[in-house]
Formats: sequence, C-alpha cells, structure tokens
Amino acid sequence: MKLLSTRTAVLMLLIVLFVLGLAAFNIRYFNSAFAWAHSHANRHYYKNGMLSVRGTVYDRNGDVLLMLDGESIEFNAEKDVRTAVMHVTGDREGSVSTGVLSALKGRLTGWNLFSGAYSFHKKSRSELTLTIDSGLCRAAYREMKGRKGAVGIYNYETGEIICLISSPSFDPQNPPDVEGNPEKYEGVYLNRFLSSAYTPGSIFKLVTAAAALENIPDIENKHYLCEGRIAIGPDSITCLKAHGRVSLQEALAVSCNTFFAGTALELGAETLQKYAEACGFNNSLEVDGIRTAAGKINLKNAVGADLGWAGAGQYTTTANPLNFMAFMGAIAGGGEMVRPRLIADDSSSFFDFKPGKKVLKRETADKLKAMMRNNTITSYGEEKFKDLELCAKSGTAEVGGGKEPHAWFAGFLDRKDCPLAFAVIIENGITSRAAADVAARVLQEAAKALKQGRNL
Amino acid sequence: MDAVISLFDTGVDLVFSLYTFIIRWLMPLLAFAVLLRSILPLWQDRKHKKTWAFLYLVNGDRIPVNNWENLIGRSKLADIVINLPFISRNHAVLTFHDRHWQITDLGSKGGVLVNGEKADKKTAVNFGDTITLAGLDMTLLPPDDEREAVENNDEENSYSFSHATSSITFLLVIVFQVLGALQICISRGTGKNAAVPAAFLVFILAECIHYVLMRRRSKKSFVLELLGYFLCGFSLLIVASAAPGALYKQLAAIIAGMVVYTILEAVIADLGRAQKIKYVFMAVAAVLMLLNLTIGETYFGSKNWINLGFITFQPMELVKVAFVLAGTATLDRLLTTRNMTAFIAFAGACFVTLALIRDFGTAVVFFGAFVVISFMYSGDIRTLFFVVSAAAFGGFAAVSFMPYIAARFAAWGNVWQYADTSGYQQTRTMIAAASGGLLGVGGGKGNLYRVAAADTDLVFGLLCEEWGLVLALIVVAVIVFFTVHAVFSTKNCRSSFYAIAACGSAAIFLLQTTLNVLGSVDILPLTGVTVPFISNGGTSMITSWGLLALIKSAEW
Ligand SMILES: [Zn+2]
Repeated sequence: MKLLSTRTAVLMLLIVLFVLGLAAFNIRYFNSAFAWAHSHANRHYYKNGMLSVRGTVYDRNGDVLLMLDGESIEFNAEKDVRTAVMHVTGDREGSVSTGVLSALKGRLTGWNLFSGAYSFHKKSRSELTLTIDSGLCRAAYREMKGRKGAVGIYNYETGEIICLISSPSFDPQNPPDVEGNPEKYEGVYLNRFLSSAYTPGSIFKLVTAAAALENIPDIENKHYLCEGRIAIGPDSITCLKAHGRVSLQEALAVSCNTFFAGTALELGAETLQKYAEACGFNNSLEVDGIRTAAGKINLKNAVGADLGWAGAGQYTTTANPLNFMAFMGAIAGGGEMVRPRLIADDSSSFFDFKPGKKVLKRETADKLKAMMRNNTITSYGEEKFKDLELCAKSGTAEVGGGKEPHAWFAGFLDRKDCPLAFAVIIENGITSRAAADVAARVLQEAAKALKQGRNL
Repeated sequence: MDAVISLFDTGVDLVFSLYTFIIRWLMPLLAFAVLLRSILPLWQDRKHKKTWAFLYLVNGDRIPVNNWENLIGRSKLADIVINLPFISRNHAVLTFHDRHWQITDLGSKGGVLVNGEKADKKTAVNFGDTITLAGLDMTLLPPDDEREAVENNDEENSYSFSHATSSITFLLVIVFQVLGALQICISRGTGKNAAVPAAFLVFILAECIHYVLMRRRSKKSFVLELLGYFLCGFSLLIVASAAPGALYKQLAAIIAGMVVYTILEAVIADLGRAQKIKYVFMAVAAVLMLLNLTIGETYFGSKNWINLGFITFQPMELVKVAFVLAGTATLDRLLTTRNMTAFIAFAGACFVTLALIRDFGTAVVFFGAFVVISFMYSGDIRTLFFVVSAAAFGGFAAVSFMPYIAARFAAWGNVWQYADTSGYQQTRTMIAAASGGLLGVGGGKGNLYRVAAADTDLVFGLLCEEWGLVLALIVVAVIVFFTVHAVFSTKNCRSSFYAIAACGSAAIFLLQTTLNVLGSVDILPLTGVTVPFISNGGTSMITSWGLLALIKSAEW
C-alpha cells in the first residue's frame, strides 16, 4: 500500500489549505471581532439600531450622565448639563462618533474577546465613571454663549480631563432639527476640542520660543528692535504697532510678530518643524481609545516670509485643541506630558501605563513657564486670574476669507494644589480677549469647586 | 446573597446562571479530552503489523507479506522491494482476495511464472507454490504458527486495552451530551417542552445500544464511531436550539444513519461482496439522479429535493456514497487496466445533473472528491493538473455566465458593504461568532437562529455563538481528524479498494466543511453546503454515516 499511501498527499494538501483558511479566519476574528460584535445588527447589543444594553455613566462626582436600561437611553436630568456634556456622552443616534455611546460602546457592552457577549446574569449592568465634572462643563458651555468653539481642562499630573465641551451643542434628550438649521448647528456632531484643527496664531510662538531657547545661544539676553514691519524679499511681516526694543520674554508678552519671524528664519524650517512635531503637531493622541485629530505642520516649502509667518503661527499650520492642551500640560510638568484621559480609575490603563512622554528639556519648560507667567502679569491682567498663578499664551489666528479671526487662550495653573492645564478656542472670536475671559471664569469656577471639596 | 438574588427573578435563575457559567468551561474541556483521546492512538498503535505470509527466497531469506495487496518490484514505492536489475519497477501484484492468494503480472519484461507456468493474467497461488519473477524463484509459505500465536496474544492485550479506553471516551461523550441537553432545557424554558429531554434520552439510548452491538461484533478500534456520536449529539444540540420543530426528524435521521453505517460496514467488510455491491450503488445512484431531474423540487434556488409525499430527501447527498465507490479499485486492477472510463463517465453524469439542478456547492464537493480519487487511482500529476485547470476554466465560465452564481461571488470579500443584502448571511455569521467569544454565550441563548439556514449553511456561526469558538474549532478538528485517519489507514490498508473509498469519503467530509465554514465567514464565497454530521438535515446525516462506514472500512 506504499504506492497509494504516497498518493494521499493530495488529501493532505486539502487539509493544509483548509487549515490555512481557518488560520486566516482566526486572524480576522482576533482583529475584527470587536467591530463585528458591535455591528448595529447584533441583537445582543442593539434593538432597532439603538444600544440596548444596561449601564450607567457617571461624572467624577457620581452624577448620572447616561442611563441605559436596555429599552431606552436617558441623559442627565438637567437640560443645561446634558447639553454641555453631549459631546462626551454622544447622542442616541450615534451621530457624535467621539461620544461614549459610540467610541466607548465596548465599555458599555462589556464585550471582550474571551467572553464575547456572555454575561453571568441577564440583567447585568455596566458602570462607567468619567473624569469630567458636569458642573464645570455646564459653566464652560454657558460661558461660550452660543459662540462656536471648545473648552478643555485637564489635570496635568494625573491626565484626568475635568472639562470638555464643544459649542454649539444640543439637548440629546430632545434633539432639534439639525438639518433644518445648518448655520446654527454647523458641525454640531463634531467635538471641536477632539476632532478639529485650527490655525494656531500666536499660541504657536511658544513652539518657536522653545526651539529658540534650545538652539540660539544666549537668546534670553539678546534684544531686538521691532519697527512694526520687516521686509523679507518682496513680502513683509507686520506687527500691530512698533514694539521697540524687545527681549524674547517681552516679545512673547506683547506677541511681537517680527521678532518670531526673525527667530524662525534664524532657526530654519527644519529645526522648527522638528520642534513642532515634538510638541505634538502632526500627531494624534488617543484618549482612552478615542483618537483626536492631528494638528498639521509642513514647512518643507516654507521659505522667506512664509517661514517667518510660520514662526508667528500664521502659515498652513493647524493645531488641535486637545493636543495643544497636552503641550501646555507638558510645559507645566517640566517638559513631561501626561496623556489626557477620560475614564476614571481605569483598571486597563494600569496595564498599559505609560510614563509621561518627554516633550521638552526641563530647563526649557521652566523658562517657558516663567515667560508665560510673565505674560499674565504684564499683558492679560492678574486681577482677572486672581490667585490662579496662571501661565498662559493668547492667540489671534487670522483665518482669511473676510472672516473674523479665531481667538485662542491656552496655558496652565502653576499650583501644586490645582494642577490644571487648559485650552480655549472661540471661532471668529475677534480678539484673544474673548477666549481669555471664558478661560478666566471657567478656571475660577474650577478653583472654587476645588475649594468646595469637589475632588478635581 | 440577597443582593445577588435580587438581580435574578428567583433563586432558580441564579442556579441556572451558575450552571451555564460552569459548563461553558466544562464542555470545551470534555470535548478536548474526547478529541485528544481519539487522536493519540493513531500514533501509538500503528507500529503493529500483521504478517499474512512469507516469500522464501532460494538463499534462505524470507520476505514478510504484510498486506492483502502487495506490489512487488524494484520501485521504492513497492510493498515488497526486490532491488535487482532484471526485476521491473512495478513487476507484479500479489493479492489475498476471498481467502485465496493470487498474482498478477503488471506487464513486466521478465514475466511471471507460477510453478513454472506462465502467468499472464491473474493466477492463483497456493501455499508451497513457487513464483518466478524474471527467473528469480520464491516460495509462498504461511506464517509459522508460533509467531502467529504470540501475535494473537499481543492483539488480545492491546484490544482489551483499547476497549477500556474507548469506553471511557464514550462516557465522556455521553456526559458532554447530557450537559449540553440540560443547558438547552434551561435556556429554552424548563418543563414547557419535553421534546428536548425526550430526544436526548432516546439518542443516548440509541448510541449505547449501537456501541454495545458494535463492540461485540468487532475488535477494531472504536474511535470513528465515538466521534460520530459526539458530532451527532452536537447536531441535536443545534437543532434543539435553532429548529426545535425538527428535533425528532433529526433524531430519526441519526438512528437511521447508525443503521446504515452498521449494515454498510458489515456488507463491504468482504472485499468480493464490496466489489459487487459497488455496481448496485451506482445503479441506484443513476436512478436517483434521473428522479431528481424529472420530479425534483426547488428550494433556495437549487432543484435538489425529491418529495415522495411521506418523505422528502436530497438525492445528490445519497449519490455521494455511490460516487466514492465508483472510483474504487483493487491494486491489481488499478495497476493493470489504468482505465478510469467508468468512473469518469459516472462522475460526468453527476456533474451534468448538478449543473442542471443548479447545485454549485455540491458540484465543487464532487469535483474535489473526483480529483482526490482520480489521483489515488492514477497517481498522474499531469492529468491532475490538466483536470484542475480545465475545472478552473469551467468554474470561471460558470461564474461569468450564470447570474445566480455570479451573484454569490459578487459579495465575496466585501460582505460588510452588502451587509443587509447579498452579504446578509455572512455578516450575521461573523456577528454571531464575535458575540460568542471563545466560550460562547451559552447553548440556546444565541440570536443567529433567526437567520435563514442558521442550522445548515451557517452552522459554524451558530456553534461559535452558542458554544464558543473553542468548541467550534474542536468540531472542525474532529472532521479534519476523519481525513487524517483515512490517510493513516491507507498505509496498512487491506486493499486499495478500501483506501480509495476512505480517502474519497474523507475528501467529501473535508471539502464540505471547508466550503461551509470558510464560506459562512467570507474567506470563500458562500456556496451553501452542509457540515457533515453537524448541520440539520436528514439526508445529509444518513450520508455522513454512510461515508464514515467507508472510512472505517480502510481501518485495520
Ligand atoms: Zn513687534
């Protein structure tokens, strides 16, 4: 039977092919089972396209943000709260893709590769506590007064995001006619703080300053004469007025364009690009599995005035608010960036715990911190930010097209008991003061909440 | 404890939940133990060889004759290698058919003589006769009594050992089935429906009776039957969960399958009888195909059902057994005639029938079996290559010109784009598989049963969802094991007749499982064939047992 025995090779070949096919399926299974299980057609989790699991989502103080009971999805009892946190919770239809109901549905279903959709008892509930403070979100949303933009605050030591709002929003309990009001609800499903990228304007000068501190010898003691405009080739860079003799610190405080244009030219496109990328540009972050948009920078073709304007934050560069807030956190933390997160006491982050990412040298960070503190004292007004030990940078980003500029305000509190970093963006906010005012009130609210014993 | 109970409606619910929690772990472990206990003997017991006779050479050397069919020649692939230049590569075949030794000259240059007389055709050889191969004399003598006695003793020991192991495995299988049946009862509501416990009770009783009867009759190893019981139990679990109305029908099919298995195994155990019965099967198959073409009825796009009023069945399922038998041949015939015309004609009739009734999936299965059998028969790689490329071309033409097949291929690889239309079944299968995780949501608690054909074409998804990926893969491994078993038994097979029958049957099992499993999860196009033993369906079940009998026949 040796002869026939060799001829069974054809059968062995079929077995090998089948096993290979099975292996291909198993690889797909391990990669995609999460997505398959969370398909809207899965009756274990969805009824008529709506999440039908049981669970509760709390804010950091135990206030209910979301209540799922298998049949319906209920939001916070107070309209202003649920409107303010709508971009965090998401809506019933799942239109807000970064909301908990969409992006973190795996936490609500409790699905995992091992157990699948199995649950020990029929009425098992999932509980999820977020790091946000719903009261603070409500305050921030009110301060936006219907203007388009976003506010985010996080603890730069623990990474907890305590405030995250995007405006405009709507009441998810009673969704309005979004399509009927395209102007009012423009981009309403977008969490602008996570998923947008805006021209940075003057806040980018912090990146240029960081590069200068590390690359231009003795930059802190050099002085520069601002005449209100410099010509570079056929183009020119202008300031609002002639700032006169300014140091780096003074140039940052008065936001002198010509100074930073000159610095950018001295640094060169390559160095500036490298520092911008280290500070978080061209990079998206992952907040508990929710990907942010990346701010973009590409100085490859930037020469002359273009490079100069890039140094002052006015080129094709864009900044994502959350990434920039994390950069603020990095400066506050001595150059180390703690990744922002949204889920409280997360056991899974214990396993993939990553130490803070080194963004800047410690001394560079400390020098920037001192200069940002000086910004507040000399330019923004300490009385507005009383007791906050605010270090910040404002920005007015020209957007062209006959539209008013975007207003930026970003920074952090240099307080051990209140280690908060933040970013505020108001679209077409005209002046950076608009953003500074919002930041002032929300930060005071955060400090007050802290004094009241709410655990921020 | 009160808090825990308050999560449940009653304490009974808590007990049920605990039960599911425990068996989710226990059942895969049991199944794995059954699989392992079945696989291991394959590597242990194979060294044992029985010697039927000796060929004594003039110089006093003796060559053991270990098979019923022995190729003698210079070739390395000969069973009795005589490495002398005047011996042809394939010189002669020495066979032991119907308790008689015979020798067949394979057209050798040197010729074959028996007791000095030229043996052109098949010639009887008695013990003591001299066979001359191209001048080389050798004498056929029986094995010495002493040796045989020792060997028999050995066999007694090893068989009683295998008796003990197989009864433990059988016990594990029964425990597995009882646990599974209880799970279905729990999740489908207790007391309301007595059909599930009744069906399982009858089934377990039936397999016990079958086990005792078979054990008494045969001393062979019992692995194949045990795995058959295991798979049948699983098919009952699936039917109980997904199509409770068909439970008794499936039970009847399983029992009928066992009867068919027992009869077929006994009938073909005798090679002479088996060679005759083969033509009866082919004739019946021809009638079935004609019936299918004339009075066949169409369900789900294929005209592959016959309704006789009191019973409906799929004739092409039954034809599979005849198809495999049609390709069989004993070694002497295989090496002398090399003529496959009868098999090719029969296969052609099958393909034409399948094309006319538009059963594409089954056609692929038949074709795969055709390739395996014809290669076993001819060993010709060039022919094989030619046949496969011709079929690939034909398949391509079929896909391009026949809209109903083209539609099936259109969604292939992009089922999520067509999730609610042509990719509906595949996406639901994948959703079910992902929902089950590794251990399943618990028998009877799945959702895939709502989808059409969940218990037949999509049965892999149902397995994954309710019983978990681990158990689903074990089930698939059992079917792969049937194939490996056929390959292994070919080595020491009594006759190439059985070897080809076993490998052809195994090919059908393997191809059906491949097309079903990989088709339902979009690795291959969905063709709608059943998983042998597992899918809901009476004809498929009976055929599976029939083919298993052919795999068993090769075992020694
Ligand atoms: Zn200036």
